[in-house]
Amino acid sequence: MKKSRLRFIAPIAVVTALALAGCSTSNLGGTAEADPAAEAGPIKIGAVLDVTGVGASLGVPEQNTLTMLAKQLNDGGGIGGRDVELTIIDNQSTEDGAAKATSKLIESDQVDLIIGASRTGPSLAMRPIAEAAKIPMISVAANVAIVEGSEWVFKTAQNDVVVLERILDDAEAKGYTKLALVRDATGFGEGVADYITKLGAERGITLVMTEAFEPSATDFTPQMTNVRGSDADAVIIWGINPSAGLAQKAYVQLAVNKPVYHSHGISNQAFFDAAGDSANGVIAPMGRLLVADQLAADNTQRKVIEQFKADYNEAYGEQPSGFAGHAFDAWHIAVNAIDAAGTDAVALRDELESAEWTGISGVFTMTAKNHSGLDASALILAEAEDGRWNLLKD
Amino acid sequence: MLTDFLQLTVAGLSQGSVYALLAVGLIAVYTVRHVINIAQGEFAMLAGLGSAWLTASGMPLLLAVLVAILTVTVVAVAMERVIIARVKKLTPLLSIILTLGVSTLLQAIMLLVWGPEAKGVPLFPGTNVLIGGVSIRSQEFWMLGALVVVGGGIVLFYEKSRWGKALRACAEQPVAARIVGISPIAASVLAFAIAGFVGGVAGVVASPIYLSLWSGGVLLGLKGFVAAVLGGFVSFRAAIVGALLLGMIEAYVAGYVSSGLRDGAAFLILILVLVVRPQGLVLKPTAVRV
Repeated sequence: MKKSRLRFIAPIAVVTALALAGCSTSNLGGTAEADPAAEAGPIKIGAVLDVTGVGASLGVPEQNTLTMLAKQLNDGGGIGGRDVELTIIDNQSTEDGAAKATSKLIESDQVDLIIGASRTGPSLAMRPIAEAAKIPMISVAANVAIVEGSEWVFKTAQNDVVVLERILDDAEAKGYTKLALVRDATGFGEGVADYITKLGAERGITLVMTEAFEPSATDFTPQMTNVRGSDADAVIIWGINPSAGLAQKAYVQLAVNKPVYHSHGISNQAFFDAAGDSANGVIAPMGRLLVADQLAADNTQRKVIEQFKADYNEAYGEQPSGFAGHAFDAWHIAVNAIDAAGTDAVALRDELESAEWTGISGVFTMTAKNHSGLDASALILAEAEDGRWNLLKD
Repeated sequence: MLTDFLQLTVAGLSQGSVYALLAVGLIAVYTVRHVINIAQGEFAMLAGLGSAWLTASGMPLLLAVLVAILTVTVVAVAMERVIIARVKKLTPLLSIILTLGVSTLLQAIMLLVWGPEAKGVPLFPGTNVLIGGVSIRSQEFWMLGALVVVGGGIVLFYEKSRWGKALRACAEQPVAARIVGISPIAASVLAFAIAGFVGGVAGVVASPIYLSLWSGGVLLGLKGFVAAVLGGFVSFRAAIVGALLLGMIEAYVAGYVSSGLRDGAAFLILILVLVVRPQGLVLKPTAVRV
């Protein structure tokens, strides 16, 4: 063979392998038959979730939760005698996958409402499609940009702003004045640095450095080395698992030795799986699900959380994560609104705007202006210790 | 500053040692069969996910790791026997298509069996070391050690042992090799076994800190591929040096420029090498055979 052979083969190999990386598809969702009759026949709810790809640790429990709840509802007679048909599409944790799935749900499945996506980036890609089609959508992701100024889009995960307030309050109380941020490079981490700068100004806290990482990253030495060399008093790692867990592991192994906060993006077992013992001492704001056993007996959320944990454990043999909770809340808010207002899109949207729901992620009060419905009271501060979360401050 | 530089170098070397092991596997197969094995990265993920699953079900770490590596070796040999060996006239392009099929199949199996979430093997025994502000993680010693022992062992095997020389003879003079009694079938099986073995070793030593994911093999395999190209797909030594350089360059790019450009660096190097020195780092153009 001539030497130049490799020159031709190599690009082919790379292109085919890259194409493979992009093409590996798997639709774990169910399918639905089209039936356009409004206000009669089955109610159609579509969900677009990050079941595979970097958001899998979020999308899988969300898919489990929705599947379980749909079955429960239909076993109990559906909504006003109408069955609920749930169609889940995997967006493979990509923005274009989420957009395509949303268009498909609206155009060919003709769904009445859409739940998803699991992460901010895909949710932002879905928003304009839902807005244009005037179909109510409930995202289960965090960034407030998903609902800011939206007419048709709602969300159930706690806003990043209130999470940051919670962190900054704690940092202020402990006398930290300089913070470093290591954030997810995708939509979830967008704007976080600006909020810290803005919210920190009122508290005498400045952001001294920002590092970013891709959610698919596996080595965090460069970011943590830079953080180690900074003069920050404490560090905020802002991401989802497994990347946030791996970042935490690198953080401890590289002996950065500064107090560390995480976001609510780590409220699942995957954090401990990825970080191991390095998780000890991490402080993070999160919903009450993972510390349900430590809540006051008269806590309003306690009953719904315990019921959900028992149901989920019975169905899947494991404990639900905070993300399962976001899906649980989205489902119930949707079903309650459909029960009250039917499937007419405008009536349903108006009903969602007055939704009140005591759920897993907090006590929701939606309004026409506030499509998120949760304030800082939805969050507690917890500290990680030996694979579990201890309630620090309710 | 120097501390930071050394810290990045350590991270780059350990990441690079994983690339190097994959490159060794790619070259082992290519020199004997002229097959570019796209599924090389999947071997690593299969071993990582397999041993993570075994340890989670209660098997001791050492045993789980050995079982996983052995299984992947068997998978690689099976791939050679069932698919590659059956093709009468194997061109490199055909080999890419075939191994791409195997790669997709392995990914699908991993997704179905272990689900879409990343999993990690527990950390191997050892302690983290802090030297002059530079922290070296215990697992990084294992990764570098695996390269020295396994990668170095295979290089010596190819260059010094009778079997290794026989393998090279098959690649260089297949007809003459057969005349002197070297079985091309045995050589091909052995080459794939080596590829499976090093892929498996790379997968298990990297899994505790980088985790294993059903879809993670493609990018990892490509990095190994870049390193193999640096070695002109014939020189183990050049590929290993290239892989370590690649790991370090990635770490420097991520640390000093932007973490988002990390993967881009590898492909930029690939393009540059293919344009400027397609024969790899070490060989003089006239000295190339293959």
